[in-house]
Amino acid sequence: MSHNAVVIGGNRIPFAKAGGPYAEASNHDLLTAALDGLVARFGLAGTRVGEVAGGAVLKHPKDFNLTREVVLSSALSPATPACDLQQACGTGLETTIYIANKIALGQIDVGISAGVDSASDAPITVSDGLKRALLRANRARSAAERAKALAGIRPRHLAPQAPGVAEPRTGLSMGEHQALTTERWGIGRTEQDELAAASHHHLAAAWDDGFFDDLVTPYLGVAKDAILRPDTSVEKLAKLKPAFGGPQGTMTAGNSTALSDGAATALLASEEWARENGMPVLARFVDAEVAAVDHPGGDDLLLGPVAATGRLLARQGLTPNDFALIEIHEAFASTVLATLKAWEDEDYCRGLGLDGAIGTLDRARLNVAGSSLAAGHPFAATGARIFPTLAKLLHERGPGSKGLISMCAAGGQGVVAILEAV
Amino acid sequence: MSTVTLDAMPGMGAAFARALVPSRAKDARVPAHEVRVPGHRQDVARLADYCRVTGFTLRDAVPPTWIHVLAFPLHVHLLGDADASVRLAGAVHVSNAMTLHRPVSLTERLDLAVTAGNVRAHRRGALVDLSATAQADGETVWSGVSTYLASGMRAPGTPDDSPHPPFAPVTPHARWRLGSTLGRDYRRVSGDPNPIHTSRLAAKGFGFSRPIIHGMWTHARALAALEQRLPAVYSVEVDFAKPVALPGTVGFHAADAGGGWDAAVTSRDGTKPHLLMRVRP
Repeated sequence: MSHNAVVIGGNRIPFAKAGGPYAEASNHDLLTAALDGLVARFGLAGTRVGEVAGGAVLKHPKDFNLTREVVLSSALSPATPACDLQQACGTGLETTIYIANKIALGQIDVGISAGVDSASDAPITVSDGLKRALLRANRARSAAERAKALAGIRPRHLAPQAPGVAEPRTGLSMGEHQALTTERWGIGRTEQDELAAASHHHLAAAWDDGFFDDLVTPYLGVAKDAILRPDTSVEKLAKLKPAFGGPQGTMTAGNSTALSDGAATALLASEEWARENGMPVLARFVDAEVAAVDHPGGDDLLLGPVAATGRLLARQGLTPNDFALIEIHEAFASTVLATLKAWEDEDYCRGLGLDGAIGTLDRARLNVAGSSLAAGHPFAATGARIFPTLAKLLHERGPGSKGLISMCAAGGQGVVAILEAV
Repeated sequence: MSTVTLDAMPGMGAAFARALVPSRAKDARVPAHEVRVPGHRQDVARLADYCRVTGFTLRDAVPPTWIHVLAFPLHVHLLGDADASVRLAGAVHVSNAMTLHRPVSLTERLDLAVTAGNVRAHRRGALVDLSATAQADGETVWSGVSTYLASGMRAPGTPDDSPHPPFAPVTPHARWRLGSTLGRDYRRVSGDPNPIHTSRLAAKGFGFSRPIIHGMWTHARALAALEQRLPAVYSVEVDFAKPVALPGTVGFHAADAGGGWDAAVTSRDGTKPHLLMRVRP
């Protein structure tokens, strides 16, 4: 049985820099605020929703059932099931695909996808040595055995461990990986700063137009994305010192995303359910694809979405020109620019197993309401921010308008999806 | 009634130290004036800490028990007045009632005011009500009444000895493990410096073998357990039946009461009540 999975809308809280206004809030708090805003916006209080799928990249062990616990804190019916998914920065898009697929298969009528991350409340854990000693002591059957296990604890085991920011197999941070890609693809400083400035200007214009009035609920006194700098310019960005790639590097704090706190949700349903319940129908979920590259073997860490895009467009018989709008997640400005260059590169695309270059993008269709450089990037939330944003933008352009979302993720992965306005 | 307006929330240390000095007066007396702090700004970090300690989710709409915590220093201040013979430190918080008249946002500035009154006889001493209100832009958004028993004191009238309704044992559907540091944690977020909650020695002085958790923590925790099942605005009454010693384990039971809730914090096995709570829309 096949149904049209449609986007009804979305709701998020304004995003903010880590350690800022949400410094005291947990993933649970942030996601509850975003979800309750969605529930209020669409009158879902007390409703049993088919399923809520959410996730966080930086997650405390006690939050093993984060999304279900959030549902229990929300105004949704407590009979609403939920699951946690995680695919690094692709999480918020992957949860959306999961919900859309269940709707398309007729397994649920209505579902909510979500993502949240708090870089302010990142889990600090104990060292592996301490953990093993404590677990051994816990399993001990006698006091002597327990004492022996605890005697194995060394001072070096006691230092708390912050979550890793480096790729486990390469030891390089995401910024360091992207610096290699930036260099390899010859991405210049000015074009990165131009992309960053455009992101801020586009997002500021969308806020000024009231575009986010039905997509964002204020939280803790923050009513608007707090990282956004409407008055930034290429000139101002040009003054920043390199953050990655050494003294000659071109990547700065201005053209890289900031560590952020935030949460986002999207409401999806079968077209029948949406119509029966008098809900707006913005866009139809068309298809999605995931891919990965061999970054431990030297591939560009954040170009995973290129293969996913190529395979997805081939399957759907589409080219970049068929899309009214394209959203490429701005992990770094140079990620977007390298992605676009890779789309045009015949050899690179063939090397991915594609039939040839994906094509050239008309830049006027790219990230027209701003993206992660300006909004911020609470890892798992970003996909669930982009999805309803794009659905609304496409809906404004009229039925049949198509949009593509491309998201890079740690582990050399990429998640892409297609929407079509209804 | 005269009103004393303070510029800022008073500290509780000195007033509490005064309140620890036993009163030689036998007749329960409370000040006749109102104490008020206008435009109190709520602190997000403290609210977040309060939510972590009590189990609430940090939301824009604040828990009503949080507003009680905000007004509490004014209770201490008022009873620290020379006109008062009732000492808060030795008084027993026997019941509490509060009404959330509309959802209150943490970004709102609150005008907080408290009065004391309704002094009446009880078979073990005198009962006194400490009443508080929170207003935002002239509108009363929250009001509360905390009833204390001043043991051994006198008040006019015949003791109202209506017995507690009998408690029917319940099967708890939740178990809370209260750690030994909980009293210190709640002192940090509530500011209530009463050492009976944190010191074994002080607890012994008041006849308890171990420190006891603040009744208003148990109240807040019980509301937090119901969280989104609570109506948007509601009244809630609690009776503090028996203190909870720290560390300790208690049971929790809640039942739908036609749009509201009847809940109980009980002994672990559900046979004895610590707190009885009624929530009504």
